[in-house]
Amino acid sequence: MSEERHSETPELRGLYRHVNISVRTLDIIIVAGIAAMIILVVWSASGGGYSVRFDSRGGSDVPAQSVRYGEAVAEPAPPERNGYSFGGWYVDEAYSVPWDFQTNRVEGDLTLFARWIPDSQS
Amino acid sequence: MAEQTTTSNSTLKKGPFRKIRAEIDHFNTLTGKDRQRYVTDMLFNNAMYIIIVLAIIFIAIRVPSFVSLSSIVNIISLTASRLPIALGVAGCIVLAGTDISAGRAVGLAACIAGSLLTTANKIFPGMGVQPLPLVILIVIAVGALIGFVNGFCMAKFKLHPYIVTLSTQLILYGTILLYLKMGDNNGQTLSSLSEGYRNLVAGTLFTIGTVAVPRYVLYAIILAAVMWVIWNKTTLGKNMFAVGSNEEAANVSGVNVMRTIILVFVMAGIMYSITGFFEGARIASINGNTGFNYEADAIAACVIGGVSFVGGIGKISGIITGVLLLQIIFTGLNFLSVDQNILYIIKGLVILVACAIDMRKYLVRK
Repeated sequence: MSEERHSETPELRGLYRHVNISVRTLDIIIVAGIAAMIILVVWSASGGGYSVRFDSRGGSDVPAQSVRYGEAVAEPAPPERNGYSFGGWYVDEAYSVPWDFQTNRVEGDLTLFARWIPDSQS
Repeated sequence: MAEQTTTSNSTLKKGPFRKIRAEIDHFNTLTGKDRQRYVTDMLFNNAMYIIIVLAIIFIAIRVPSFVSLSSIVNIISLTASRLPIALGVAGCIVLAGTDISAGRAVGLAACIAGSLLTTANKIFPGMGVQPLPLVILIVIAVGALIGFVNGFCMAKFKLHPYIVTLSTQLILYGTILLYLKMGDNNGQTLSSLSEGYRNLVAGTLFTIGTVAVPRYVLYAIILAAVMWVIWNKTTLGKNMFAVGSNEEAANVSGVNVMRTIILVFVMAGIMYSITGFFEGARIASINGNTGFNYEADAIAACVIGGVSFVGGIGKISGIITGVLLLQIIFTGLNFLSVDQNILYIIKGLVILVACAIDMRKYLVRK
């Protein structure tokens, strides 16, 4: 049926010019594509959520967390580094936006950067 | 067959209910096998919409905050911010072309706007905040130039749109990175944008309850209205559809094909630069990755909204629907905590399926 319909229709134009495909094949692509999307979404949505990594910038290691959308990050124990005191977690490497563990919510994968303040040399 | 009914019907009188009634009448005249085929065609042609509606219901049940007021306003705002680029690239698609340099053009426009409207100028050290109208003009001029180069190469040398815009895309990316290295900036992210710039674009238009609706929503509506007039009421719009559906026929009937193609691409370029101008103020921190992959979203939105790669087919209302649906679905997936890397795969599949549906509509129509 699809073969017969295909032969009656004009050649594909525009960016599809030279495309040679039957309606049946297209149906298979549509169904398979949608099935793949559903599987990916269900599989990924049942995972642990977004990963929140802590880049301690030379300090002691801080374990990553899995946090779902809209939830807060649990504040980890402050990392340590010789000769420096810990100055909080920041969203960017330039330390312009601090992360507030009370009010900020996770909206995607996130990496937080540790800020270090050198101990005053005496 | 369904298409035929709608066309003959719309010539009589327009109206959604009349259309639906005509479809039902048409369905009643069918028998057995034809009826089955009609239902199958309906399901396949609207597969994307059906899936999106089901997904929205699923997400709303699992994460009720998805349908909260703030979430809905957020979706509308994001749709508005992505609408201009889609309106631009749609013109290129109607011409049976495409434009994959759009995202980088957005990025360049955002970088230029950000560099001229910052209170701590590192790219041009010592230069203060420039007047807004001047910056808007500069940004639009740059966008128009990009569009002109794309359109000229395509119209004059008949180069394939993918080749031309791929090279423009890379050239623009290099330009963005070099631009960000100028002065004392050294490739850093541009921030501390001027209050006037942020306020003009992302300031509050009005508030619903406690949720603020940003000003760029209004601008997006105005741009959509302007594009609607250009597409439907001007010679340029009519010529664009004529060239898109059959270039030779358009040429024979006296349409200046080269001028039409160039103008449509210039218009698209202007739309990208406006998107970039909005994006800069909206995200308030601009770097080399600003605008990356925006063209993929815009093209996907257009195809979902019925702007066909066949050429010469498309509606402004379709583009708005496409951008909105795509935004709803990706915000929704975000609420489901779907991995951002998987979103790329899903976007790829969305484009593949949307194109398959697009081709199917064309093949089945007689």
